[in-house]
Amino acid sequence: MSTPAALVRPATHTDAETPATKAEAKNLSFYYGGFQALKNISMILHEKKVTALIGPSGCGKSTFLRCFNRMHDLYPGNRYEGEIRFHPDDTNLLGRDVDPIEVRMRISMVFQKPNPFPKSIFENVAYGLRVRGLRSRRAIEENVEQALRRAALWDEAKDRLQDLAFNLSGGQQQRLCIARALATDPEILLFDEPTSALDPIATTSIEELIHNLKDKVTILIVTHNMQQAARVSDYTAYMYLGELVEFGVTDEIFIKPRKKETEDYITGRFG
Amino acid sequence: MEHPDVAAIRSLIARHKRWDTAFAVFGLLCLMIGVLTFVSLFTEMAVNGAARLDWDFFTNYPSRRASQAGILSAWVGSTLVMVVTAVVAVPLGVASAVYLEEYAPKNWMTDIIEINITNLAGVPSIVYGLLALGLFVYQFGLGQSILSAGLTLALLILPVVIVATREAMRAIPRHIREGAYALGATQWQTVRDHLLPYSSPGILTGVIIGMARAIGETAPIITIGALTFIAFLPPSPVSFDPPYLSFEWLMSPFTVMPIQMFNWTSRPEAAFQSNAAAAGFVLVFMTLAMNGLAIWLRYRLRKNIKW
Amino acid sequence: MSEHLSKQYDNDLETLRSGVLQMGGLVEAQIRGAIEAFSTGNHAAMEQVIANEPGVNGHEVKIDTDCSHIIAKRQPAAGDLRLIMAISKTVTDLERIGDEAEKIARMSKQIHEHGRVELQHFANIRHAADIALSMLRQALDAFARLDAAAAAGVIREDRAIDTEFRSILRQLITFMMEDPRTISTALEIVWIAKAIERIGDHAKNIAEYVIYIVKGTDVRHTKLEQVEREALG
Repeated sequence: MSTPAALVRPATHTDAETPATKAEAKNLSFYYGGFQALKNISMILHEKKVTALIGPSGCGKSTFLRCFNRMHDLYPGNRYEGEIRFHPDDTNLLGRDVDPIEVRMRISMVFQKPNPFPKSIFENVAYGLRVRGLRSRRAIEENVEQALRRAALWDEAKDRLQDLAFNLSGGQQQRLCIARALATDPEILLFDEPTSALDPIATTSIEELIHNLKDKVTILIVTHNMQQAARVSDYTAYMYLGELVEFGVTDEIFIKPRKKETEDYITGRFG
Repeated sequence: MEHPDVAAIRSLIARHKRWDTAFAVFGLLCLMIGVLTFVSLFTEMAVNGAARLDWDFFTNYPSRRASQAGILSAWVGSTLVMVVTAVVAVPLGVASAVYLEEYAPKNWMTDIIEINITNLAGVPSIVYGLLALGLFVYQFGLGQSILSAGLTLALLILPVVIVATREAMRAIPRHIREGAYALGATQWQTVRDHLLPYSSPGILTGVIIGMARAIGETAPIITIGALTFIAFLPPSPVSFDPPYLSFEWLMSPFTVMPIQMFNWTSRPEAAFQSNAAAAGFVLVFMTLAMNGLAIWLRYRLRKNIKW
Repeated sequence: MSEHLSKQYDNDLETLRSGVLQMGGLVEAQIRGAIEAFSTGNHAAMEQVIANEPGVNGHEVKIDTDCSHIIAKRQPAAGDLRLIMAISKTVTDLERIGDEAEKIARMSKQIHEHGRVELQHFANIRHAADIALSMLRQALDAFARLDAAAAAGVIREDRAIDTEFRSILRQLITFMMEDPRTISTALEIVWIAKAIERIGDHAKNIAEYVIYIVKGTDVRHTKLEQVEREALG
């Protein structure tokens, strides 16, 4: 008689294993003027894990991402409802009394199209440090080197730190932007479709990088490439038309999602 | 079945190409009219005045004797006035533009201000002269001085500087600003560390083009009372005695190149006409040089920027 | 299941599914032919089964190749992924069933050429074969309709085959003890019974894959009660 094995189901966490919560969106809605782009979203961002946001164009995933670092505040006519609680201090990131600049000091972002400043490689990475008042040349150099190492760009860049950032290839520029975001030791790192402007090889190197950052930084990544979400993330959230349809462990979502809408999107039955 | 179709296509293309050629010829003619006019003007001035271009011409004061007349006071006056213009117009213009572009709330009031600024660029320069006469010369009591002239011309080119700065800042893509803000920069830090440095080619170009226009402005300068016959220079800004730097020159009477030219052209003697031509040559040369500088600076500064 | 945005993808999957059912039909026919050969000693039937065997193998290879193509082209996920994985395993089991049918045919040949056969064994073997055949048909049916409950029914049937097998074994042992001269023939019949029992096992496997496709749970190596809870719950 064979020993009764547990049902072979992709593991969900027991309570003891659930990772800590880094941030939690609670009934978050967002309005561009009169248009409601996000509808009552509640979701947990687990600490030091990678969470992916997937969904068709216009579903609100980038909008949701940008709430975390208050990027919407830069443009007039935007309104938040609900909250995003940020731990460990349990502040509401969207609170009116919370300074967006302070939020951005703790939460960094990497954008879709690599956007290095027209400055040298060194100055690009150093800028975040300068904004935070770091003056000592030695300290800045050390931090820059560390950030470039974490972004797997040190070897390629160490001999040309004073070169213009624009002379790097697309994939290198994006890694530079990641280094720039990492230099300030952010508590959450936001990625907005970081590889959609890159070729497959550069894409893979960025995915490797994200994989290496896992367990060290909390990451929230928006991607329209489902396979990328499957490869890179621990948790996946599927969004559609401004709503959160399903959230779960990535392995489960991609092998046996709970909702039919999720399954339809993942298998290309959409439409 | 191929042959007939190909032939039809070919004749169709030939017909269209005739229009192509026709426009090319027409465009060339138009261009030539402008170019030839300028070239002939310039050549006439050169021919007329080249003989007069010697060291004395540049270092002599005006004189009743044509052969001894020079443009010293004129070109020194122009230079000093330009310095004042630049020093006043650039900070005022850039700061206004930065405020309008980055800080001002986007409402109807800001829209009105924007429209008016663009319109100001089209106001006839003599109107500025009248304004300056009433405001600077009499109201503020600055008199008929380099300072008044500089302020007047600064006002004149202010719209140009503002528009150039705004255009240059608008050319900076959104994702660069977002990149700066996303790192936790304040608005001023973003402007100081990113927006101004990256728009400096555009700003500089605008300033220099504005000044190239200002250097040739005659009407407002006459209105506020530049002298046409000056046989002395304004006091030197630097001296060997303390306090080493003086601002007396700002309040000094003066003249500028266009006025000197105007003065000479209104004299009947033919010799003065050559003087005027020579001065005109120098003025055009100065203007072209400034534009050339603008182009070169733009090229140099834009090399680092690839949006 | 609704359709993919890509009609081509739908067609590929449909081709795959009908290929499996086709192979299933072929294999069913093989079993029937082999049992017929055993019962009647019909040489034509025996030869037919043996000759068809490469065709069955060819199906397995083709379907597996098609599965690889779909994986390479489409990166299937969720339900599609489970379907492809299950199909790949199903054709392996179908191919083994084909092998067992061929073995039955060969052994029948041996028996009818060399041995004496006792009538009562026909009935028992026939009965066991009927159960196995019905299991296979039900499993394929459950696959066609993606019916997890029907698949659970097949898994339950496997016990019946085991029981049948053991009873046949007991009878043959008694028979062999009574008359040692019948041992070689009896042993042949034992192998045939074993082959039928294996066919039942393979049909059970196919049913387990169907539950995997529908419910997303891998129920191999789990107890029947848990399986039924999973399939019907």
